[in-house]
Amino acid sequence: MELTTIKDTFDRVNKKQKLSSSKSQEVIDQVGREIEQALEKIQSADDPTSPFDQKSILTDLVLELNAIDPLHQLEGPQKELNLNLSKYQKLLERFFNPDISKAYRNVDFDLHIVNQILASHFYQEGLFDLGDSILNEAGEPEATVLKSQFLDMHQILEAARLRNLEPALKWASTNREKLKQNGSKIELKLHQLQFLDVLQKGTRADAVTYARTYLAPFYSLHKKEFQKLMCCLLWAGRIGSAPYPEITSPTHWENLTEELTREFCSLLGHSYGSPLGVAISAGIEGLPTLLKLVSVMSAKKQEWQAMKQLPVPVELGKEFQFHSIFVCPVSRDQGSEENPPMLMPCSHVLCKQSIMKLSKSGTRSFKCPYCPAEISVGQWRQLYF
Amino acid sequence: MDSLSNGAAAATIATRTTPITTTASPPSSKLAHLTESLKLEHQFLRVPFEHYKKSIRADHRVFEKEMSAVISGVTEAADADLSKDDAVHHLSSLVSKLQGLKRKLEEGSRIENLQAQRCRARLDHLESADVENLPDWNNTRLKRILVDYMLRMSYYDTAAKLAGSNNIQDLVDIDVFQEAKKVIDALQNKEVAPALAWCADNKSRLKKSKSKFEFQLRLQEFIELVRAENSMRAITYARKYLSPWGATHTKELQRVMATLAFKSNTECARYKVLFEPIQWDFLVDQFKQEFCRLYGMTLEPLLNIYLQAGLSALKTPYCYEDDCTKEDPLSQDNFRKLALPLPYSKQHHSKLVCYITKELMDTENPPQVLPNGYVYSTKALEEMAKKNNGKITCPRTGLVCNYLDLVKAYIS
Repeated sequence: MELTTIKDTFDRVNKKQKLSSSKSQEVIDQVGREIEQALEKIQSADDPTSPFDQKSILTDLVLELNAIDPLHQLEGPQKELNLNLSKYQKLLERFFNPDISKAYRNVDFDLHIVNQILASHFYQEGLFDLGDSILNEAGEPEATVLKSQFLDMHQILEAARLRNLEPALKWASTNREKLKQNGSKIELKLHQLQFLDVLQKGTRADAVTYARTYLAPFYSLHKKEFQKLMCCLLWAGRIGSAPYPEITSPTHWENLTEELTREFCSLLGHSYGSPLGVAISAGIEGLPTLLKLVSVMSAKKQEWQAMKQLPVPVELGKEFQFHSIFVCPVSRDQGSEENPPMLMPCSHVLCKQSIMKLSKSGTRSFKCPYCPAEISVGQWRQLYF
Repeated sequence: MDSLSNGAAAATIATRTTPITTTASPPSSKLAHLTESLKLEHQFLRVPFEHYKKSIRADHRVFEKEMSAVISGVTEAADADLSKDDAVHHLSSLVSKLQGLKRKLEEGSRIENLQAQRCRARLDHLESADVENLPDWNNTRLKRILVDYMLRMSYYDTAAKLAGSNNIQDLVDIDVFQEAKKVIDALQNKEVAPALAWCADNKSRLKKSKSKFEFQLRLQEFIELVRAENSMRAITYARKYLSPWGATHTKELQRVMATLAFKSNTECARYKVLFEPIQWDFLVDQFKQEFCRLYGMTLEPLLNIYLQAGLSALKTPYCYEDDCTKEDPLSQDNFRKLALPLPYSKQHHSKLVCYITKELMDTENPPQVLPNGYVYSTKALEEMAKKNNGKITCPRTGLVCNYLDLVKAYIS
């Protein structure tokens, strides 16, 4: 990228600055030497030095200094330095967008909401002292509930990383009902891992006791897994040789942190990733388009502030696509409850209003805009994405 | 839910200007996105550079001032009739002045080197951004944005903690804002001295941008004198410090001068407001703006700028529905509130997301339609069929059918 050019320009600036600095030191030394010489002459002259001699020494000094012309000597290097400084600045303005706030809308951005978002971001990331710190400095009330939820989560994760599943199991059993409602299998998974751990480290008897106490309740819903696990008893102490790689694979432990986080957040009704992180990443990807848009719309500040919908799409990566958006290829309208997408027998999809228009309000058959198929009246059905 | 058709605004834009080609070739690769996003980093490079320039300028001024003083000192001595002792004394003092100058400039040079290093470190940081280390680099960027926000809000402790714990001190402008902190703290304590010193320090640049900040500071000092009922001192103050601004800011000057006729507990609304403590808050805001402008920073925190852009790009009517997926930031109340006044995003082409897998349904993974009109991705349906003897159960309606009953849909 052009960064190499920019770096070179800056290096030149730095060089000129060093030159100017050393020149000024040089000049100071020169002037200093002359004055010291004059000083010596005056001091060492045999007494009584006639004032006239002293005067001539001083006058000579003045002439010497004029010859050195210290201020003028620095003019050259300083001018060059200033030239390069402004060159670099212009380069920055050319390669980077000098004002990214042009696309900013002067709407009410509630400070309190932003601070709360920041605090919950820090809590989610496990940075509890930062979360406390910002609420403190901003004078916001403490977010005790949110904080304790994430504190719990991070404690569970810390323990799990050290292969201690007790906190996780406790959490899973406390929330068993809700987890079952969401179709989550995390409790079984935790017991599985624990069971295999006991099998590997302890005796077969321990494992059987464990299975009877904790795995048995899962039998009815997960027969296959249960049977496989019980078979693993035959390989006690050397689980690696058991023919069930999908159960015994060590990747389960590696992925456990992520899985636990997902389950925990999903139970809380929270996203896996920090929503602030997602929103800002989307902003970083989308801002260049918005800035180009603003510059194209240059004089129309009013329109920019008042618009209800962006006039152009902002292309984001697919990780930012959370909703299905249907756009009718004919009318370019977005699908909605009043204007839903309709599937035609030729497998093409148009929005209802387009179909109504083409079929003259559902009275005539028409040709699909995308293929030779004739579509008779009523031969379309609504789609639900 | 309103139907978001091409509204009048969009239509007129399309006809008035040439078709906006900004999205003719959407950057699909991560590298292209990254390169574009680097161009947003003007402030990142500009701030330490301004700091660097400032030190250089200050050193130049010091050199000129002191050197001129030494030269004229010598000329004086040559013209005057000094005794030997006086001459020696005089010259010695000039020598020590030069030594002092030398030390000052050495220190200045050391500081300038540090600042140059910081500029270069930031250039290196931008260069280091790569598709491989992208998650980490993005994480650092998020932290930089957060530190910027906290510095502007004056949450210095949190900023320092965040910067320190991630070793990004070189990439953020804490020291620049420390300079601002002094002035802001003083203003909040109703003292203008540091602010005036700052104005003196940056005189030429403030003049260039036609700033009236100094004038506002002087006005406030005047008001304080009036408040303390020091009318005579107030008038002297006005003569000295306010009159130079009279020509360009006559109305404001007149208004404030009129307060002499009122007391600080006046009920007259027009003048009462000038005595309110909120005027000091205005001064703090004004200072923050001048400060940011001087250093080439945006007036708004980077956080707000990126957040607004992101929320608008993500905003769809579906985000406000109850069954909005939790992965969408706009499913959260906080974000919804912030996004209310912002425009919705727009799509030109259909983008469909499978209800089951949350993945995109495109040509590699086309959508398939159940007999009841519900649509899911081929991948999800194939897996379901494999595990259930070719049978499909719609997760939303419970309808059971065969995989073979499904119909592909062609959506561009």
